[in-house]
Amino acid sequence: MVALTEMTNWAVDLIDVRKTYSRNIQALRGVNIQVGRGEIFGLLGPNGAGKTTLVKIMMTVVRPTHALGTIMGRPIGHRGKLALTGYLPENHRFPGYLTGLQLLDYYAALAKVPRASRSVNAPKLLDRLGLSQWGGTRIDKYSKGMMQRLGIAQALMNNPEFIVLDEPTDGLDPVGRRDIRQLLLELRRAGKTVFLNSHLLSELEMVCDRVAILVDGLVARQGTLSDLTEHTIECRITFSGDAQPIRSKLAALHASVDGDLIVLSGNDAAKTNAVIDLLRGQGLLIESVQPHRFSLEDILVEAMAGASPKNHGVSSKPAD
Amino acid sequence: MQFWALIVDSFRESRDRKIFWVMLIIEIIIAAAMFCIGFQPGRIHILFGLWSAETDYFTGMSGLRHDKIAAVAVSGVMDVILGWIGVSLAIVATSGFFPSLLERGTVDVLLSKPISRSRLFLGKYVGSMVFVLFHATFFIGLTFLIIGIRWGSWLPGYLLSIPLLVILFSYVYCISAWAGVRFRSATVAIYLSLGAWVIFAGIQGIGDLFDTFPEWKKNRLAYEASVVARWVVPKTHDITYLAGKWSGAALSTELIPKIEEEDRSAVERAGQAELERMNLSPLYTIGSSLLFEAVIIGLAIWRFARKDF
Repeated sequence: MVALTEMTNWAVDLIDVRKTYSRNIQALRGVNIQVGRGEIFGLLGPNGAGKTTLVKIMMTVVRPTHALGTIMGRPIGHRGKLALTGYLPENHRFPGYLTGLQLLDYYAALAKVPRASRSVNAPKLLDRLGLSQWGGTRIDKYSKGMMQRLGIAQALMNNPEFIVLDEPTDGLDPVGRRDIRQLLLELRRAGKTVFLNSHLLSELEMVCDRVAILVDGLVARQGTLSDLTEHTIECRITFSGDAQPIRSKLAALHASVDGDLIVLSGNDAAKTNAVIDLLRGQGLLIESVQPHRFSLEDILVEAMAGASPKNHGVSSKPAD
Repeated sequence: MQFWALIVDSFRESRDRKIFWVMLIIEIIIAAAMFCIGFQPGRIHILFGLWSAETDYFTGMSGLRHDKIAAVAVSGVMDVILGWIGVSLAIVATSGFFPSLLERGTVDVLLSKPISRSRLFLGKYVGSMVFVLFHATFFIGLTFLIIGIRWGSWLPGYLLSIPLLVILFSYVYCISAWAGVRFRSATVAIYLSLGAWVIFAGIQGIGDLFDTFPEWKKNRLAYEASVVARWVVPKTHDITYLAGKWSGAALSTELIPKIEEEDRSAVERAGQAELERMNLSPLYTIGSSLLFEAVIIGLAIWRFARKDF
């Protein structure tokens, strides 16, 4: 079983993960998620969807009611593999009596990082995260943003292959958020697998290769961003003039008219040209033709709106 | 490496508590006061001769009564100052260690490390002992030197009070650790552990009374219950007896300056009972207590290992 799972190319291969808390509260109802090696994967969903529970199960903080699959080739909960995993929990709390350097050394020692590596890695990471001047300062003097950067530094102290970041940009200003995005891209270039849980969909859109949308404890959508948005692309044509005489012809082309805006669902160039011909034939002035792709937010809202939760049937292969 | 990191972290956490420094200041003041006291045959000097009085209590006629000085050191320093007061303060200082460890956001990071929950618990548990180990080493070491240099009585056995104090603390702290895991509240942990300590002391006190007044043993049921209860609970009293024995201390009854004739037989019986407790095997005294502690720690680990955070 182990030998087989180690052969898989997935960094994370979660199969039928379930968690029922006391009083029969079902947080996860059979989650299946695959994360490819070396990709940045985003997990999103509304509050109470089970995202944090899923992350905590992956990090052995919460015990699943049922779970199959592997993380970095080992069964979920395998303690040895945690040495190669970095984790930043949401709303983390670090002991205020430690300095930044002491904290990194402490957590890295727990992650079995040799002392020599710790003393080299800690100043480097503090420098990379803009905290080089603060290494000797007690953590209770840190701002929220500094604490967040320190949290990311501790997650990277053991040079992990797999990094789980829960709301990594929480409390950071726009410059800080950009820094973290750049860091994530650097990690991907270095071949690391990053699992992101964030409410900031625009952030996920910018860095993620693939995403999964969790709704009510089940995966509602999963795939690459282009896969997820492909069926939601539309063409928006604005014009001036009276389109009333050609309304029925536009309807025949499945174009919806709203004042001076025509929306064509899908990405069909022939259909778009047909609508343009129709408008010009009527002597109307075309002001703009814009293809429009739905945002992650649109997809999330759509998934929440009631599409029965399912895997969307799109590519589940890791991004190249 | 992991265990050591937890111990170092616990010591840093201890140092961060105000009680740690308050205890240190109290210890220095008491040690300084002891340093101001000196003995000569038949006399005691306070403040380097500023005030002195005639007494043969500590010196006898032929020189220092080392056994009495040892008894005072053990009952004063080890039993009262570090035992009751020090251990109580240490319980108050360390009772928050487990509740703070289990706070959301803290425990998540720790559990994501490649360390088992039982090892994590034990590392923190042993680390909490460092608080008492530090103070016991500092104060007993300091008073050992003062008793030797200023009073002329070198008591190497007295140094064994250091590990005995740590063991005494562990008897009470196991309750605090279990309560910390179970209720995640430092206040509850303090009340339960100190309450348990009073119960342990009460059970042993009742046992001592049965030994002092053998006629009470006629009530077989009460006596047998007392014997069983005494066997089960940690023997916090016996730790002091053991420290006294290893320090070569006189019996506490010998410290009473004047005994009225009508009290003499009761005092002698109490002395005999104390001697019997002193001569109990350390394997029984400490071993059976550690068994109790192991059960409580086992319960705490079981709870910690099963819990979702």
